[in-house]
Amino acid sequence: MNKRGTTLLMLPALLLLAAVFLYPLLRYAWLSLHASSVLTGLVPVPNGGANWGRLLDDARFWTDAVQTLRFALVSVALELVGGLALALLLHRPLRGRGPLRALTLLPWALPTTVMALGWRWILNDPHGPLNAAIRSLGGSSYGFLSTPATTWFFVVLADVWKTMPFVALLLLAGLQTIPLDLEEALRLEGASRLQILRRLTLPLLVPYLSLALLFRLAQALGVFDLIQVLTGGGPAGSTESLALYAYLNAMRFLDFGYASTVMLATFLLLLVLLGGGWLLLRRAGLERTSGRPA
Amino acid sequence: MRLLVLLWSLGPLLWQLRTSLLRPEALVAPLLDGNPWTLANYQLVLSGDPPFWRYLANSTLVGLVTTVLTLLLAVPCAYGLHKERGPVRWGVGLALVAAAMFPTVLLFLALLEIARSFGLANNLLSLSLPYTALSLPLAVLLLRAAFADLPPELEDAARLEGLNLGQRLKHVLLPLLGPALASTAILVFLASWNEYAIALTWISRNDLLTLPIAIARIGGGSVFTIPYGAFAAATVLGSLPLLLLVLLAQRSIVSGLTRGAVKG
Repeated sequence: MNKRGTTLLMLPALLLLAAVFLYPLLRYAWLSLHASSVLTGLVPVPNGGANWGRLLDDARFWTDAVQTLRFALVSVALELVGGLALALLLHRPLRGRGPLRALTLLPWALPTTVMALGWRWILNDPHGPLNAAIRSLGGSSYGFLSTPATTWFFVVLADVWKTMPFVALLLLAGLQTIPLDLEEALRLEGASRLQILRRLTLPLLVPYLSLALLFRLAQALGVFDLIQVLTGGGPAGSTESLALYAYLNAMRFLDFGYASTVMLATFLLLLVLLGGGWLLLRRAGLERTSGRPA
Repeated sequence: MRLLVLLWSLGPLLWQLRTSLLRPEALVAPLLDGNPWTLANYQLVLSGDPPFWRYLANSTLVGLVTTVLTLLLAVPCAYGLHKERGPVRWGVGLALVAAAMFPTVLLFLALLEIARSFGLANNLLSLSLPYTALSLPLAVLLLRAAFADLPPELEDAARLEGLNLGQRLKHVLLPLLGPALASTAILVFLASWNEYAIALTWISRNDLLTLPIAIARIGGGSVFTIPYGAFAAATVLGSLPLLLLVLLAQRSIVSGLTRGAVKG
């Protein structure tokens, strides 16, 4: 097989990928320099960067950026910690481990809208089971989804519930690469389980933790369907994410020019955060390896 | 510990099951008389217009077409990438990882424009085009890892036997890739079954909705008017196929994801 042949084999897939991933970004860049809304009959008219000026002054965009970041950082942190605990549990030779793995994986496999509506009922005020439990303990119903100061946390909870199994599975893959005799050797030296975790397991898991961190961070920064179905961005916009704001600009306010600007800005934000995160992880990794005696 | 984990994972789902089997009055206050349990919610959902199984059928159709298309494109691409050396291999690999991580909701507007200008909206088959693209990065990465796991002598021997590339793939390599193909197919099917943003904007006709959109529409009213029993029945019906798939293919899913993690 000659060299050109292998490249040709990749071509159909790469062309489709370019059309679906690359073209939209270029299109947004172009549209973001145009007015294309109901006012222009959705015909793009150059407007000399007015969309970007508007973005800088758009308090709603920046509020949503902060809210998206808060959602992403808190839920990814919880998912990593919870996912690690879950992975350690699933790694132990328990009876019924196979079915247990399958059942814990189930929340991840279900459509987000299904579980979002499920959570909406569980968190319902006053009829949901959570509020029923609070009342039976003598408390009064809490507006889980109607209290602007705290609703975001319950969105995080729903996300953690769905995505933690996925993180656990990635980390489980990492755990399976650690030779058992290494663990055994440390145990014979008298190391406690916590010491084994700190000295052996966690350092060897770093690549898997980094992968889970970057992947989940990218997905969480683009959070859309969970929020649209669970809270619609409310109450009082307190859970609106950047992707939801972009969606509303396009589909409700029919302002394609500005929607493109918001999407491109979200993508750039993502790029900066992930690039920064990646560099930090790499530097930490380099320091670790260079600090180790050869 | 195991029980706690199961309670956390399954509790919300079991609560949906319970809700779906209760009479609406019993959801709001404990019934004073009579049997609170009923199948009426399921009857309501299944006798809707269109009946609920229609959405299941739609999602299954898109999922199957997407899975076949993805594998058809991903296998040659993965093989090519496996054989490729130098900057192309590095660049394509990096692009695939980036695309696999990309939050796909950000693509919907440009894809909607494409759908409108090519008349692809409201068509389940055309929906599998963007779905294929969204699944390709992960599929190619998984299959490339699988190709790399095969002993290279195998293909060399087949080449010396005079088999051309197509024959080598068909008779020698692909049969050995069975498990990797299966786990890739399941992951692709799951992703397509659950996709939301593109289906939401491409499909407006009620009888063509995919399951996630149909369920979101059922819940779309205000919190107080949602027929929770009926919608819980819908989520249970929508979860059953996935429950079966995950239980049956647990090993495949786990090995697919873990393989991807090891090589990615």
